[in-house]
Amino acid sequence: MRTPRALLPFFKSRGWRAFPFQRECWQAYLDGRSGLLHAPTGLGKTLAVWLGPLAEEISRRPSPGPARQPLTVLWITPLRALASDTLRALREPLAELAPHLEAEARTGDTPSALRQRLRRRLPFALVTTPESLSLMLTHGDFRERTANLKCVVVDEWHELLGTKRGVQTELCLARLRRWHPGLRIWGLSATLGNLAEARDTLIPTPTTPTSTSPSAGPEPVIISADLRKPVRIDTLIPREIDRFPWSGHIGTSLAPQVVRRLEAAASTLLFTNTRSQTEIWFQELLALRPDWKDELAMHHGSLDRKEREQVEQGLREGRLRCVVCTSSLDLGVDFSPVDQVIQVGSPKGIARLLQRAGRSGHQPGRTSRVLGVPANALELVEFAAARHAAARHEIEARRPLLRPLDLLVQHLVTCAIGEPFEAAAMRREIQSTFAFRDLGDEEWNWALGFISNGGRALASYPRYRKARLVDGRYLVDDRRLVQQHRMSIGTISSDSQVSVRFANGRTLGSVEEGFISRIRPGGQLVFAGRRLELVRVRDRVATVRPATRRAKGQIAIWGGSKMPLTSELAHALSDLLDPAAGAAHADSGELRAVAPILAIQACWSRIPSDRELLVEFTRSRDGEHLFLFPFAGRLVHEGLGALMAFRISRDSGESIVSTRNDYGFSLTARRGLRIDTAALREALSTDRLLDDLVACLNTAELSRRHFREIARVAGLILQAPPGRQRRSQREIQSSASLLFEVLQRYDPENLLLRQSEREILENQLQVTRLRECLLRLEGQDIVPVETARLSPMAFPLWAERLSSTMPGGTAASRLEAMLAELEAAAR
Amino acid sequence: MHLDLDSTNLELLPGLAVLLPASRTLVVADVHLGKSAAFRARGLAVPEGDTRRDLERLRVLAGSTASRRLVLAGDLFHSPAGLTPEIEDAIAAWLDGLGDLGIPVTLVLGNHDRKLRHLPGGLATADALDCDGIAVVHDPADAEPGTPTLAGHLHPVARIADGRRTSLRLPCFHLRDQLLTLPAFGSFTGGRIVEPRLGDRLFVAPGDRVLEVPADLWR
Repeated sequence: MRTPRALLPFFKSRGWRAFPFQRECWQAYLDGRSGLLHAPTGLGKTLAVWLGPLAEEISRRPSPGPARQPLTVLWITPLRALASDTLRALREPLAELAPHLEAEARTGDTPSALRQRLRRRLPFALVTTPESLSLMLTHGDFRERTANLKCVVVDEWHELLGTKRGVQTELCLARLRRWHPGLRIWGLSATLGNLAEARDTLIPTPTTPTSTSPSAGPEPVIISADLRKPVRIDTLIPREIDRFPWSGHIGTSLAPQVVRRLEAAASTLLFTNTRSQTEIWFQELLALRPDWKDELAMHHGSLDRKEREQVEQGLREGRLRCVVCTSSLDLGVDFSPVDQVIQVGSPKGIARLLQRAGRSGHQPGRTSRVLGVPANALELVEFAAARHAAARHEIEARRPLLRPLDLLVQHLVTCAIGEPFEAAAMRREIQSTFAFRDLGDEEWNWALGFISNGGRALASYPRYRKARLVDGRYLVDDRRLVQQHRMSIGTISSDSQVSVRFANGRTLGSVEEGFISRIRPGGQLVFAGRRLELVRVRDRVATVRPATRRAKGQIAIWGGSKMPLTSELAHALSDLLDPAAGAAHADSGELRAVAPILAIQACWSRIPSDRELLVEFTRSRDGEHLFLFPFAGRLVHEGLGALMAFRISRDSGESIVSTRNDYGFSLTARRGLRIDTAALREALSTDRLLDDLVACLNTAELSRRHFREIARVAGLILQAPPGRQRRSQREIQSSASLLFEVLQRYDPENLLLRQSEREILENQLQVTRLRECLLRLEGQDIVPVETARLSPMAFPLWAERLSSTMPGGTAASRLEAMLAELEAAAR
Repeated sequence: MHLDLDSTNLELLPGLAVLLPASRTLVVADVHLGKSAAFRARGLAVPEGDTRRDLERLRVLAGSTASRRLVLAGDLFHSPAGLTPEIEDAIAAWLDGLGDLGIPVTLVLGNHDRKLRHLPGGLATADALDCDGIAVVHDPADAEPGTPTLAGHLHPVARIADGRRTSLRLPCFHLRDQLLTLPAFGSFTGGRIVEPRLGDRLFVAPGDRVLEVPADLWR
């Protein structure tokens, strides 16, 4: 296809030529098709999906006067921080090709004046988030306002896929599709291992055409930008490898070498894996080069929006030499390419590393480069493994989330507020999504009950009412309920946050309540790149001032579990360590660097691999230890360790402690552990797997803690903006754990409880991966090795024994244990 | 567990109540009857069950301790919306039952109770009480300094760290000088973590007995 005539001026004035994949997208769009465009960052994805609808609009016969309902393109972005960048990118061609058309953004950050204006009239193109779209569905006139909607673009779909916000997007799209059957849906995605599934989740095609769903039109396409963007992955190899730890963390000892790399480039993004690491590295770099005070910035999700925007602006203008950041800068429209990207700490996954690398060498045809800064020797090998896997295109998949009922009830209330719905038609609409296509009668009836009379156990919910059934349609018309619901839509957020401010009102960002409560007034903390002194905490606001005296401040820490290594990367790592394959990789600098340590491992024990199960047995002062190396990622290892500890101690009566990392796990007991292949096989069997896991991992306690998010999404906990809570609101405040107890006691069949347990088993304990791992191990040889001392692979697992926690038992038994410990310590 | 407040002997019960042995007066605070009904009235799907259960727990406790009087240290009710006819009936039956056992009930009015336009009949009320030389009030702020006092209102909860980044939260009795603040009795009530000062004492009831929390575990 040729570039549509309507678009030529834009390309001519820039001296650009459209890429073939862009023309392919425009053609498919103009043919009335939906699709998924997959391209690395920075290749003109935005133009590829944006210019199709634009060309169509321009070449349309112009109607006299302004359109009554101009909204034609809805652009969904996963992060509201991206909305302004996206808007800028959309407006650029608009100014040139169709200055009479408007584009605006509507997110949680939109000022209320603009929001009001958008309530009256929507522009030609609207950039929004899944939450804001959901909110718009509660407005009765939204259907009419979207009367001319032609296209919905879902940006960064790979970020939403597999999350509740992704399902929220699916549900909103189902609504729009039912209103406007010809609607075209386009997804943008970075590289994924399961592109077809990603497409089918976003744009489901009815498996059996029914009378009510008209034929969906031509099949949705997948278009790949066939511009191979070369990616180069290098690592900083420490000078003195023998003083480099095999595992664990060395903090910032490679910082001087990093500084030299920063000197050599005009602009750098330095990615870390956690917000705390960002704070630490920012301080370290500043200490080494105080003269960079104005050229060094930081960016993470807990910083105030204004602070973040300043940094993004600085990047765009090229004022900044280096920005230390977290995944908060992973995404972004094609903005501000940098000269180099540095990744501090484990890359964790192949797709993730490639995405980050894509931030450099943004222009088509240029090479993207990333420099890995390992925190230990095994991370050095992880970078090499990621390089090999990337070369073989072994990229992680993101699995779609199925049937989260908390979101279903939220969405049903959203719809009932917008316009009354009839149950059967709504069920068809819900089941037209990928997430709910297998929705069963029990779940559907429960969800309907939940929003109207409290659910099946009618007797348990006297006088409860949310939606009313009027003339066969569900509707919510109580103004207070409507307002309550609008406030709580899409608050899929984490722990309660405390906002950090100076006395003059300037906000720096937010930290977790748990962190700030451990600091006393007058104490110091390091946050937002500053050394601060805490003045006071009141009403979820922590007032701070710049610290004057030099004291050791606590680096702000945020909760949340460590991200596990993906199975793909773990497998690539195992492949690389495999001595049989070693010759093929002898050229790799990383492997040469760690060769001495691998030699020790090979000599004292054996190099572990995911083709067999290496089991080491050692005695130490602490007792007896077993170390197993299945290479399945830390979450799976956590489950495996707990499972084996539970099963062995059930037989032997000895108490067993387990630790884990991304490569394996350990079991420690005073006595009674030994290498007995038959016993090991039994402890690793898939028989009664679920029962044993539920028994040993205190799933009840875990699901209670997990219930907070579910209760919030399902509308059982009200979200109120801090400081603005009304008295009447306070009367219906409750904590998630209290609700959990009440539901368990008086409505144990409540499906939200089951969802909580299911999500814990799937997400936290990764039951599916765990079972797959056990099945794999069943077919493999067990290689037992008794070592005289801890092998290099075993040492980090042994060292982690102190930090392992898995609170279990009743409050009483835990308290008794604590008291006993305390008395023992006092003696 | 026995405790002397001024020179009056008290018994802290694992059922989150205090017994004054001299007059066999049972004191509990913050039952918050009808809380889940108030939630449902506002469109939050919380099941019923707490009201009957809490009334039953109180009746059994009063019986098993051979109490001769029951004093409620405020916030027996949660909110006007929570006092549905069903709950009012349940309370009337409960008061009758206690009356048959010869146990009069007195409610020291709390801030939540005061929001109700009318209270169920047969319930004696007071702004404050004196039992065996110990004052019973709802809000600890109303306690006279130097007077031994029982109070509620705050729903005290002790946070006990186990040194491994996790902690237990348990409803607690909080003793500061002459003032003993009772934990909330209601089964659908939350709590606020107390910030004890030097010299304070905390008591929890994790199982079937009351334990004092050593100061080392408050953190």
